[in-house]
Amino acid sequence: MRFIVQFIAIVITAHLLGLFLPWYACAAVAFIAGYFLKSSQNFLAGFLAIAVLWTFNAWMADLDSSSSLPLRVAQLLGVGSAGMVYVLTAVVGGLVGGFATMSGAMLKTEN
Amino acid sequence: MRIIKLLVSLFLTIGLIVFLDSRWVIMGSPIPPLGKFLSPFQGFWNNLEPDDVTDSDPLTLRGVKNAITVVYDTLAIPHIFASNDMDVYFAQGYVTARDRLWQMEFMTHAAAGRVSEIIGAGPDGVILDYDRGQRRLGMVYAAKHALEALKQNQDEMIMVEKYTEGVNAYIASLSYESLPFEYKLLDYRPEPWTALKCALLIKSMAQSLCMSDKDMEMTNSLKLFGADTVDLLYPDREDVGDPIVDHPGNWKASRSIPDSIPLALPADLIKLIRLPRPDPGIGSNNWALSGQRTASGHPLLSGDPHLNLNIPAIWYAIQLHTPNISVIGAALPGVPGIVIGSTDSLAWSITNSQRDLVDWYAITFQDARRERFLLDGEWIPTVKDVEHFRVRDHEEVMDTIVFTDWGPIPYDDHYHPDDNRNQYAFRWVAHDPSHDLAGIYKLNRAKNLKAFDDALQTYASPAMNFAVASTKGDIGMRIAGRFPVRRHNEGRFVLDGTRRSSGWQAFIPAEDQIASLNPARGFESSANQYPVDSTYPYYITATSFEAYRNRRINERLKSMTAATPGDMMALQMDHFSLMADENLPWMLAQLDAKSIPEEGRRIAQSLSEWDRMNTPDQTMPIYFALWIRNVLTLSWDEISEANVMLERPTTFTTLRLLKTQPTLSFFDRQATPEKEQAGDILRQSFILAVDEVNRWKKEHPDLDLTWTNFKDTRINHLLRLGPLSESVMGGGSADAINALSRNHGPSWRMVVSLEPSGIRMWATYPGGQSGNAGSFYYNNLIPSWEQGRLYELQMLADPTEGSEHALYTLHISNE
Repeated sequence: MRFIVQFIAIVITAHLLGLFLPWYACAAVAFIAGYFLKSSQNFLAGFLAIAVLWTFNAWMADLDSSSSLPLRVAQLLGVGSAGMVYVLTAVVGGLVGGFATMSGAMLKTEN
Repeated sequence: MRIIKLLVSLFLTIGLIVFLDSRWVIMGSPIPPLGKFLSPFQGFWNNLEPDDVTDSDPLTLRGVKNAITVVYDTLAIPHIFASNDMDVYFAQGYVTARDRLWQMEFMTHAAAGRVSEIIGAGPDGVILDYDRGQRRLGMVYAAKHALEALKQNQDEMIMVEKYTEGVNAYIASLSYESLPFEYKLLDYRPEPWTALKCALLIKSMAQSLCMSDKDMEMTNSLKLFGADTVDLLYPDREDVGDPIVDHPGNWKASRSIPDSIPLALPADLIKLIRLPRPDPGIGSNNWALSGQRTASGHPLLSGDPHLNLNIPAIWYAIQLHTPNISVIGAALPGVPGIVIGSTDSLAWSITNSQRDLVDWYAITFQDARRERFLLDGEWIPTVKDVEHFRVRDHEEVMDTIVFTDWGPIPYDDHYHPDDNRNQYAFRWVAHDPSHDLAGIYKLNRAKNLKAFDDALQTYASPAMNFAVASTKGDIGMRIAGRFPVRRHNEGRFVLDGTRRSSGWQAFIPAEDQIASLNPARGFESSANQYPVDSTYPYYITATSFEAYRNRRINERLKSMTAATPGDMMALQMDHFSLMADENLPWMLAQLDAKSIPEEGRRIAQSLSEWDRMNTPDQTMPIYFALWIRNVLTLSWDEISEANVMLERPTTFTTLRLLKTQPTLSFFDRQATPEKEQAGDILRQSFILAVDEVNRWKKEHPDLDLTWTNFKDTRINHLLRLGPLSESVMGGGSADAINALSRNHGPSWRMVVSLEPSGIRMWATYPGGQSGNAGSFYYNNLIPSWEQGRLYELQMLADPTEGSEHALYTLHISNE
């Protein structure tokens, strides 16, 4: 249950702050959620929250556009297909979210 | 223990963020900052544009006088409605930057030799070498001269200053998330736009069109083969016929023309690396039909300038409207005004004039310090310019360029010392101050042929053949530009830089320039061929003139009596090869059955039955193109294999000599003991061509053997990145009217009908209005351009007229 609360809190707050703060604001959000909403699976919650958030927003942008930019980016980054750019986006965001949440949770344990 | 775990975790988090927020170069390839780049809030996902753009928010911008309305039509072409000149150029700058900022800035960097600031020195320093070359050719020097001249002309000042303000208003509105894609990919930011950048882009166009020369190659030929052979292999005027303007006996020379010029032949012939030369595929077509040849009884104008095929495209379609201007057509992103297009009563299109506007002067320096050089017996001081190159991921590089009164010294002991032109001064007509924008300013307001002629009086560079037609029923052709009055042979070879008398003494006055109005034949046309009949008093020389396309155009136009805009579009797509048609019969006659294998005999039979059309799905164009290529290689082996800088004669001259002088000693191949003649060259090159086709088939097992697959036309992204480039299926060839080769072709296709009730324009180009690879409008025009189906562009009288066709409308007002 705490896991779900933590997950949802990160998704919503990171989304709102993401609209006007630099990309790494999601790490601050995840860190705070790790501290105050510590769960049994902090890394997983943070990873999934940012990965889902980023993938969903990327998908929304892609949905309205017939442009093949994701495929072009895949070829530029040498990852093959547009699907792999989604995976890469999810992993990059997820890792930052996961480590930040885990760090926040560890700080809590210290007190 | 827990503290350590916490610290490790924190360290990993922060390290990860720093890593993902930085640009990396891994094994030579740059990786954008992945966190920033992949974030859907700010990164590249943000460059994905929805297809259905709706009304955007009104903008308030400082620098705007009155309200401006911009109607974007369904092709995303902006139609700007402003109440005065200042606002219209401000808005042109703003909307162009909105669609093409990255391209505009990158092209100015390329012109100014600053690409290495963005992408580094490149493999083996090629990018830095290119940058140094640009500065050494005097590109910035030329642009600075243009800028000084511009400050003396009110109209040009308004154009450039307001345009610059408009671009900067857009740049000021950008945050990381709204940066064009390429800035994110390469991780850098735009710098402020300047008037100098506008000037640099005009010079960049001049560089691609009129910086070509073969002075050193010709000089070497003269030394190696003598004057008679030079005239035989490289005639100033090939026996082609059909000059652009044919008015025998109607020319006068208001400037006296000296007979000859002393030559300055260099002592040694040295092997060298040559400057990048514009591909001979760069050419263009334009023509104007008078009412006597059209179905409507009113003139038709057609234009398709050929350039390197790049994406984002070289042109940007736009309409400018104020109470004093109504003009629509193709603008160069980064330059105010419209370069090719139509006002509400007059349409024009341009082709390159090809003339030689470049000279190289042998310099005698006083000593190795090169602080003085000899001129008319005196030691004149040089100017040394230290150029700085802020190379990315590298320390700053400096380069000293020596300037003489003639111009810069591009090649010396510090830059390509093995070039034959080491220590020669470079003189280019576009180095001089001139009022080119004033020409565009007036052209964009011209209502009749008189205003058109007046507009081009001061136009200097790049020199162009302007075809024109008006709603009053007139058609005309004017070759406008700054042309030196040349003495016989002047400009063909390198010149003596120790005497002022070697320099250009005067320029051809506007009243003596080549022009024509309402000719009896009922049409004007140009396709980079020789400009004028033999009675024109001024000496003309060039790297080469076009020999086939122009005659095909005239042949077709002569047959037209009731031409429609559709006929013009079809003619732009004409795939007929006149080169094949007039040469294949005698070429095939040289192939005797005994000496050719069975497969070759079948191909020869098919070639003789070929309809001479370079249509996409045929195979015969492949055999013909490869046959010609091998004919050139085998014929001129002594030229390609010589250890000095030499130029091969043109295809036209090669074929003419093979046909008329089959025993010419050049046709004897150096590598063989036999004594070859023209027939042997043709047979051997035919067999080589057949072998090459078979090799291609083996190397491309998945592809059908068709002309389009073989030709493999590509529209390259400006950064030469494959994933951002486009592949094209199409026919055509350099000698066909649809002059589409591998990387060159029609960069804009336009037809205008000049009806008394108003003009009607159709156009398309290889690309799209948006420079953003995340937009539907990045490449949406390519299919129509491939197939020659032009879109009708509406010249709107007011914003409400357009609203029914509009994608959306942008309102701009003062703060």
